[in-house]
Amino acid sequence: MRVALYVTCLVDLMRPSVGFAALRLLEAADCEVVVPAGQTCCGQPAWSAGERAAAASLARKAVAELEGFEAVVVPSGSCAEHMRKVWPELLADDVYWAERARTVAERCHELSSFLVDFLKFAEPRADFSGSITYHDSCKGLRGLGIKKQPRELLARVPGLRLTEMNECEECCGFGGAFSVEFGEISTQIVDRKCESIAAAGADAVVGGDLGCLLNIEGRLRRRGDNRTRVLHLAEVLAGGSDK
Amino acid sequence: MTAAQPLTFHARAGEKVRDLRLQAALQKARPLFVGKRAKGVAALAEDGLDFERLRSAGEEIRNRVLADLDVWLEIFEERARAGGAEVLWARDGKEICDLVIDVARRHGVSKATKSKSMLSEEADLNAALAAAGIRPVETDLGEYIVQLAGEAPSHIIAPAVHKSIDQVEALFAREHGRPVQPRSSADIPAMAAEARAVLREHFLSADMGITGANFLIAESGSAALVTNEGNGRMVTTLPKVHVIVTGIEKIVPTLEDFATLMRLLPRSATGQTISNYVSLLTGTRREGDGEGPTKTVFILVDNGRANLLGSPWQDMLRCIRCGACMNHCPVYFSLGGHAYGWVYPGPMGSVLTPLLTGLENALELPRASTGCNQCGSVCPVRIPLPKLMHRLREEQVVRGLRPRRERLMIGAWAWLARQPKLYRWLAARAARYLRWLAGDAAAIRVFGLAPAWTEGRDLPVGPGRTFHELYAARKRA
Repeated sequence: MRVALYVTCLVDLMRPSVGFAALRLLEAADCEVVVPAGQTCCGQPAWSAGERAAAASLARKAVAELEGFEAVVVPSGSCAEHMRKVWPELLADDVYWAERARTVAERCHELSSFLVDFLKFAEPRADFSGSITYHDSCKGLRGLGIKKQPRELLARVPGLRLTEMNECEECCGFGGAFSVEFGEISTQIVDRKCESIAAAGADAVVGGDLGCLLNIEGRLRRRGDNRTRVLHLAEVLAGGSDK
Repeated sequence: MTAAQPLTFHARAGEKVRDLRLQAALQKARPLFVGKRAKGVAALAEDGLDFERLRSAGEEIRNRVLADLDVWLEIFEERARAGGAEVLWARDGKEICDLVIDVARRHGVSKATKSKSMLSEEADLNAALAAAGIRPVETDLGEYIVQLAGEAPSHIIAPAVHKSIDQVEALFAREHGRPVQPRSSADIPAMAAEARAVLREHFLSADMGITGANFLIAESGSAALVTNEGNGRMVTTLPKVHVIVTGIEKIVPTLEDFATLMRLLPRSATGQTISNYVSLLTGTRREGDGEGPTKTVFILVDNGRANLLGSPWQDMLRCIRCGACMNHCPVYFSLGGHAYGWVYPGPMGSVLTPLLTGLENALELPRASTGCNQCGSVCPVRIPLPKLMHRLREEQVVRGLRPRRERLMIGAWAWLARQPKLYRWLAARAARYLRWLAGDAAAIRVFGLAPAWTEGRDLPVGPGRTFHELYAARKRA
């Protein structure tokens, strides 16, 4: 199966290892993976700011470059939700783009849901040993219903113990531009998340969205926690570091 | 209409985040709200009821009303009048105050007891009554506390949730003329009893009772009142005059519809199967009735609601004021309700405040959301709150209410993101720059381009190369 990997702008800039981990996972699942060269950003930041025209222009650009693929895989519930739900809505009144946007949107998948729901992929090649706790990111969880997929995948990793934290479905306070525009409120929210993580006492906190992970890692370190590792699901599942 | 407070949301939020006593009160309340609702919703299964189907039914009832609101209001007016009540209409807060004061004067009222009404907060009714020489006495325990403190409610169903027990004790000692005592949560029943004793005098001596209504039932012309403390009963039965101030959207067609919504409201609010008291108030005291007002007046208020009909925000009018959205909101529980600046806090406030007081008066509220949709997933009538906040953000852009600099930056970034080659090149430079800023560390501790981020947290950075750079290098190899 020919699959486009859409790494997201944040992974590209802040943590390339997540992109390579996703790549290895997809290849291990026998996908022919293509990384479309023109990809930049799905446009969610513009959409969140209320800039509909800018968001639509980026949606059109992305739809055009992703049309040729059977599936588009994104290591982010937030971006996947934007692609699946917002693109078709943004371009619904555009005769030329509406149908194309709908078609591409249906083929966009968040990584863990693609592996579990779509490919029925069973064998992560991980070599993780220790305990982890999983943070459910909001857009993936409440927007796309991603809850059991990452846990199913993690359960198959030998040596990995999942210790659920209290309130794992609570927002971490990232919210994209929110974390900068309302930094103090965001810090207040992520503090509660850090307390839940600390109480779970796991070796690592794992999630499916780099935005949330940067927020959580940044706050954990600032609070003086240099021990708890903060990892993307793909990094755990693909095993081995590839930074 | 009460004007939004002069401080910006940002400034108020900063104060609230640093108020440790407030933070302690909020952190104590949050798990109670969330846990009780979760239990209440789970208990539906014992009665063979499905919460999602109930939500759909609630949504349908509210949509049915809104589709023909004018018709339902006329039916209500006719039936309420037939029952002996007077029905008045108020366009805004000032008209509410004028009408209430006029009714009070006609009946020689010098003191009015009140049961919770958010509409009276929209109108700042207490201040207007006091100025007219009529003493308003709040009788809901939480409302009584905030009235003593000279504050506004900070939550629509738990008005004093922001107060610590010591703060309440200080207020009671002052108001009730006794020395301050050390108090713990074990003393709450005694403190409530103390307030009850004081309030009883007011119940017996007031000439007028003022309440809101949780619902107005069109087929019977009744007001439904949902309370837990019993004060609502006192306010509606003891004084000779009862004034009900409520929004025009509170109508439900039938008693059957009301029963359905009552399966949703208390559970979503406090997790209760049903509240301690549910009153259906129709008309005035009839011959042979042992109690009840001889005069009942409905004041049905628009105050900006009719403008929302047919607008992209019509869904907001489904709201049944349960408070579940704020009870599950990470932003609300970081700040409490006063930060929101007007009557309604939390997600429903972030939608209603700009819509009812003017978009330009609450520019920050629709943006002060992480978009987590915890509110939308608990709303008993399925109001898509994050979507409505998002539409307000778009409307700010359309009406030119966003700062020029912000618009230029987003425009420039969106343009850049459509030029993949240039974007790649700049991203590669940015990755190097971030790496350089971090030095030997894994993260940047002070980041001048986004100081708000590094005020509270580090910025973890990558290896100094972008994914696309590394991927291209790998393909060449």
